[in-house]
Amino acid sequence: MGSLFRSEEMTLCQLFLQSEAAYACVSELGELGLVQFRDLNPDVNAFQRKFVNEVRRCDEMERKLRYLEKEIRRDGIPMLEIPGEVPEAPQPREMIDLEATFEKLENELREVNQNAEALKRNYLELTELKHILRKTQVFFDEHEGGASTTESMTRALISDDPNKHMGQVQLGFVAGVILRERIPAFERMLWRACRGNVFLRQAEIDTPLEDPSSSDQVYKSVFIIFFQGDQLKTRVKKICEGFRATLYPCPEAPADRREMAMGVMTRIEDLNTVLGQTQDHRHRVLVAAAKNIKNWFVKVRKIKAIYHTLNLFNLDVTQKCLIAECWVPALDLETIQLALRRGTERSGSSVPPILNRMETLEDPPTYNRTNKFTSAFQNLIYAYGVATYREVNPAPYTIITFPFLFAVMFGDLGHGAIMAVFGFWMCYKEKPLQAKKIDSEIWNIFFGGRYIVLLMGLFSMYTGLIYNDIFSKSLNIFGSSWRQNYNESTLTTAKSLQLNPDSMDYLQHPYPFGIDPVWQLAEANKIIFMNAYKMKISIIIGVFHMLFGVCLSLWNHLYFKRRISVYVEFIPQILFLLLLFFYMVLLMFIKWTSYGPSPPNFDDVRTSGYCAPSILITFINMMLFKTDPNMRTDCDDTMFAGQMGLQKFFVIAALMCVPVMLFGKPYFIMKEQKARASQGHQSIEASAENGTAGGAPVPASAHHDEDITEVFIHQAIHTIEYVLGSVSHTASYLRLWALSLAHAQLAEVAWNMLLRKGISTLIIIHTLSTCRAACRTRRRTCACGRCRWRTRSSPRSRGTCCSGKACSPRATRAASTCTWCSRAGPPSPSPSWC
Amino acid sequence: MKGCIFNIDAGYLEGLCRGFKCGILKQSDYLNLVQCETLEDLKLHLQGTDYGTFLANEPSPLSVSTIDDKLREKLVIEFQHLRNHSVEPMSTFLDFITYSYMIDNIILLITGTLHQRPISELIPKCHPLGSFEQMEAIHVAATPAELYNAVLVDTPLAPFFVDCISEQDLDEMNIEIIRNTLYKAYLEAFYEFCKLIGGTTADVMCEILAFEADRRAIIITINSFGTELSKDDRAKLYPRCGKLNPDGLAALARADDYEQVKAVAEYYAEYAALFEGAGNNVGDKTLEDKFFEHEVTLNVNAFLQQFHFGVFYSYLKLKEQECRNIVWISECVAQKHRAKIDNYIPIF
Repeated sequence: MGSLFRSEEMTLCQLFLQSEAAYACVSELGELGLVQFRDLNPDVNAFQRKFVNEVRRCDEMERKLRYLEKEIRRDGIPMLEIPGEVPEAPQPREMIDLEATFEKLENELREVNQNAEALKRNYLELTELKHILRKTQVFFDEHEGGASTTESMTRALISDDPNKHMGQVQLGFVAGVILRERIPAFERMLWRACRGNVFLRQAEIDTPLEDPSSSDQVYKSVFIIFFQGDQLKTRVKKICEGFRATLYPCPEAPADRREMAMGVMTRIEDLNTVLGQTQDHRHRVLVAAAKNIKNWFVKVRKIKAIYHTLNLFNLDVTQKCLIAECWVPALDLETIQLALRRGTERSGSSVPPILNRMETLEDPPTYNRTNKFTSAFQNLIYAYGVATYREVNPAPYTIITFPFLFAVMFGDLGHGAIMAVFGFWMCYKEKPLQAKKIDSEIWNIFFGGRYIVLLMGLFSMYTGLIYNDIFSKSLNIFGSSWRQNYNESTLTTAKSLQLNPDSMDYLQHPYPFGIDPVWQLAEANKIIFMNAYKMKISIIIGVFHMLFGVCLSLWNHLYFKRRISVYVEFIPQILFLLLLFFYMVLLMFIKWTSYGPSPPNFDDVRTSGYCAPSILITFINMMLFKTDPNMRTDCDDTMFAGQMGLQKFFVIAALMCVPVMLFGKPYFIMKEQKARASQGHQSIEASAENGTAGGAPVPASAHHDEDITEVFIHQAIHTIEYVLGSVSHTASYLRLWALSLAHAQLAEVAWNMLLRKGISTLIIIHTLSTCRAACRTRRRTCACGRCRWRTRSSPRSRGTCCSGKACSPRATRAASTCTWCSRAGPPSPSPSWC
Repeated sequence: MKGCIFNIDAGYLEGLCRGFKCGILKQSDYLNLVQCETLEDLKLHLQGTDYGTFLANEPSPLSVSTIDDKLREKLVIEFQHLRNHSVEPMSTFLDFITYSYMIDNIILLITGTLHQRPISELIPKCHPLGSFEQMEAIHVAATPAELYNAVLVDTPLAPFFVDCISEQDLDEMNIEIIRNTLYKAYLEAFYEFCKLIGGTTADVMCEILAFEADRRAIIITINSFGTELSKDDRAKLYPRCGKLNPDGLAALARADDYEQVKAVAEYYAEYAALFEGAGNNVGDKTLEDKFFEHEVTLNVNAFLQQFHFGVFYSYLKLKEQECRNIVWISECVAQKHRAKIDNYIPIF
């Protein structure tokens, strides 16, 4: 009972660890995960703690690992998951080895990268030159026509320009490569800076080139600029430099160009082989690293975590041992002792660690022991808040209430079954799925809550059975209790018919389990009937749920010996709920039992459905102290004798509870304080027993002299929250009905619009294809004809069906409505669900 | 009315900016920082603040310049994020903020080329917020006219530059004049723009920009003593959107020494207080620091109001001040020169 019902009992312990053994011991405790250490040097800066150097070394190692990881990712090498066990924290001396390994790897990688970058830069330059030679060839060729010297090229250019008759002026040119997006600005700048006296040609390089420093793919363009004179040349060169264009020498004579191109090609090929070798080497290094990198990460992080923990410890005077304070679950003291002993053995230290229990007045942390089944539910609770130490833990009840409340809204046998199967699959394949370590957040939500999903599915199947819904259809297992006794002609002509529960139409005993399947056929009042039923059910569930919650608080009050709280908080609270809302629930049951179509003495109209009062109106009138003005004259407006008086008493009593909740506790606290003041103000000091040595005195946190105004404000908030809360929560539980209605309606739409259409088209296609095949093979016309009739007739029969569902023609005629909202319905002619 | 619809376009960004602002180091952080023995300690402490792991991937030993670069990089990333998500008129407002960095960059590059430094060495020194496409080709220009025609005409700075076009050579004196004229034009334009936006933005920004303008005027005056800058030329450089305009500026134009400047400032309560506490003796705060402190107060005050663009400007300025502080402290730590380590300017 203990650990499930309340959070674990915790004790504050003092730990004396031998300096040498401290690391191993903390490592063992870390693997155990049962200890919460307290920071004993909260005033010390992060960089002034004892083990800051070790932490820094870990940071450095992590940095190197991150660098390695980045490089591995860049090459797309898969990093192996840690096979099997997660590695233990390595010994401190192993740290040096690890550091050396990482250092070596990093240096090697950096060197390789540097080489590769230099090679790539070289390669890039050569490729660019290749492109320049190729593209400029095109430029020259365009202008040349047949002749292929720059002489004639210049002449051609000059003759284009009628303003300049300079004769034999040598035109110079520069060729280079520039990033493509910079071209427009570059061109504009050239034009402005040189006042339009240069001629720029550019061509795009189609293939992206790799930028050696960032290894991104970039698009570049080749350009060639013709100009005249040295001044312009320096200016153009400056601009090129400014726009980070790379200029390349480009020979003027075509023959030279061709020769150069050849040379470039051979050099590129040479470079390619060297580059390939470098890449291979890099790849080998990275593949080797990728095998271990996850492992290393875990190791380094564990070391870092251990040193962070050690930083929380105090050093004793002799510097020989470390003092730690920690919270541990009282039940696990043995395990912790064992772990400490293991740690000492591992470190080879002779002095055993000392674990002292300390008395304290501080509030211990809340610790709820969970297993893989309860942890998901516990997390649900934590999402709302963490209970105070030793308070009742609501998680165990949530295991039932949460899936059940979900199922009330999701009640459908078919949908529930799908969900349950999914949940079951996740639970069944738990281990392999866990090992896969899927990163998707959505998947992890589902997988984390796999037991919740399973339970929700199972409960949905149960409520689905009660609602008699399977994919929005009904199951007629036990045979409906309704029959129709209309004759053939009425059935064929009437649009809607009613079945009277007083007559032979109803067998006078209800359907054994859940809703009668006949309601599925009642077009007119199915929703009205279901609404009345589901609304009442959700209020009933809600009120009981709230009552249960309030009762749990009684256990808290009793456990913490808060007698006042029981009298002035719990009792008025529960009274308030009982007198108002539980009474409403009672009214529902009274209405269900005492009103009906066939009362014992049949001529008494007051107990017939005709006179059944609305619960909601009754409840509102009860709060307003008035009677229903619209009550029918021949009806009694009360459900039982003395109802009016009782109701008035209930409302007044419930309202009386509010001031008790509001002022009761502050009043008693005030009285208590006065009494204590008169007794000479003895402050209650628990004898804080300090540990044997060096135990820091624990500050007493129990301050009884709370500010009385604060108590008042707190109590006022609490009361308002409770009173308003119980009203609004009751209304909120109607959401169970609303969502259930929405689900049922959507399921129906999904069935009609999606599933049935899909299935029927499938059937049509199937029949058509088999028919064709039959016709082709057997060449028998009659088979064809029959098939055609079947395919054509299936939609028609659906069209004439009563509820737009594909049921048999007889169901059409039997469609009807009923008057008795409480229990009546149309007959169900065929036992099958259509 | 403006407040009602402010959140449609800028609400998210304002929230973001206020969130960023909460990450600005507090006095307690500074107290911890000045206790650091080494830069590694500094890094460790900064890890506990909003800076997080911004230095985590830097191999030790750290240098002050790395810290400076990283601080600036982080700030620039944040600012660019704001800029990329903004719409008119906020995007123009944010652009206006970057213009001052562009001016600084241009002046830096021109001075650099004047001293025959290669452009590749100068580029990394430029502030990334003020970089523009044509920036690197700036050394083509030999005269202000060329500078305008070839480089600046396409940039948003072009309208500010109109006053500086002359055929003189670019020498140090001229560059300083260009810088100040540009700044003057920029400040006045920014001031007008903020007025145009109106509402709280105008209230907050005009206050800050007016102070900025006055500070420039005072500093120009003080720095011009003993140089060949004539009084007329000096008067032309004063931004005319401050509180000193017009009487104070006229008086400043006539000033001949520090005392006279101080006398002018006496007429303005807030500036008088700044001059009051400033001094060059050991232990005194310099006038510059006083100005910085006042700027910080103004910028912190900008956060007291909601629904205006001033927070973005103020955030940037405060964060810059913080970067200066951290760099100052790290310099002191690195050089083991702890005597002046407390000369940072606390923000909160």
